[in-house]
Amino acid sequence: METTHDVVIVGGGPAGLAAAIYAARARLRTLVLDESVPGGQVKTTHKVSNYPGFPEDIKGTELAAAFAKQAERFGTKVRRAVEITDMDLRADVKRFVLDDEDTVTAPVAIVATGARPRHLGLEGEARFRGAGISYCATCDGAYFEGKDIHVIGGGNSAVEESLFLTQFARTVTIVHQFDQFQAEASTAEEALHNPKIKVLWSHEPRGFHGEKTLETLVVENVKTHERRMLSTDGVFIFIGMVPQTELLKGVVPLDKWGYVETADDMSTPVPGLYVAGDVRAKKFRQITTAVADGTIAALAAQKYVRERH
Amino acid sequence: MSDHVKTIDQAQFESEVLASPQPVLLDFFSTECAPCEALAPKYDALAEQYAGRARFLKIFRQGSRELATKLGVSGSPTVLFFKGGKEVGSRFSGDIKRSELKAAIEAVLA
Repeated sequence: METTHDVVIVGGGPAGLAAAIYAARARLRTLVLDESVPGGQVKTTHKVSNYPGFPEDIKGTELAAAFAKQAERFGTKVRRAVEITDMDLRADVKRFVLDDEDTVTAPVAIVATGARPRHLGLEGEARFRGAGISYCATCDGAYFEGKDIHVIGGGNSAVEESLFLTQFARTVTIVHQFDQFQAEASTAEEALHNPKIKVLWSHEPRGFHGEKTLETLVVENVKTHERRMLSTDGVFIFIGMVPQTELLKGVVPLDKWGYVETADDMSTPVPGLYVAGDVRAKKFRQITTAVADGTIAALAAQKYVRERH
Repeated sequence: MSDHVKTIDQAQFESEVLASPQPVLLDFFSTECAPCEALAPKYDALAEQYAGRARFLKIFRQGSRELATKLGVSGSPTVLFFKGGKEVGSRFSGDIKRSELKAAIEAVLA
């Protein structure tokens, strides 16, 4: 089946859904494609405390669902759990093939594919994924009730998710490469005062071992280079993100870290192709900045659609 | 949920999975798990497509802790394949694409 739209938005995280809200309210026929359920990284964040408009903490899943519901209220169509199996982003009319079955076209594409959790790339990491290694605390935290687990990282995600994991685990040991957290001061302080949380400063992971499931985490002291084997029931890894630019390679310029370079209005050198959110080259990646990008992309796209031909 | 996907509990593991004459896919899922929610429609669609050739089962993590421990499953979603009473192929965990799951089913059926 082939359907025609005014705007196709790839990625239903905060950037994509903010773009969808603006585009749909401008009466553009708007379609959002997501390989998962909408919400992007927000949907696997246990709570959000810094998004304006929510004086109390809101669960990431709830905020994600609210973004999608608001976009759908104005007529946006959201296709969940679809895979783009072929596409043409350079053409005047952009074309996407979904699950080898349906084709969707539009003069404008807004790519807001965001970023995914960075992997360490260490021995045993892939093998023990789902068997002791996790990248999602809300998904897997409950498997570790009463267990002794480790968290790798020291930024906002690592520290906040460690606090969340203390609901289940007996102890959470944070392994961090530096001698202080990079997380926001209020979160860092909360973690340092939590009796279930221990911190192994100035250590980096070096490998994962076990028979059927993960049993041992190898760490190295970055100052003394001394290595130790720590027995563990599970390891959660929160060491940042990598941009998801698979669709865009060779289509638009990427910076040396792999993020997409855009103009201030989110446009790219390809007419009708906009890029917004965490996948874009920029200094700060927050829900608020993603939403701002999405808004700008949708407003620029409206102008493009109106002035086209 | 599709008619072709059946939810079992750990007490049924032997009769439904190990004793199945057809290859079996078993999906461990949890609540508040976005990748599980994302897998569900793909799993349903594939279950329909492979009806009669493979069985698609789901098991809720809560209440199947012993089985999860025995199988070494500690993440949701995790999809395992069984054939002739034994686990075969490799497991899928986390964000699972429809195309990669389909390829794995084809490999198990071959």
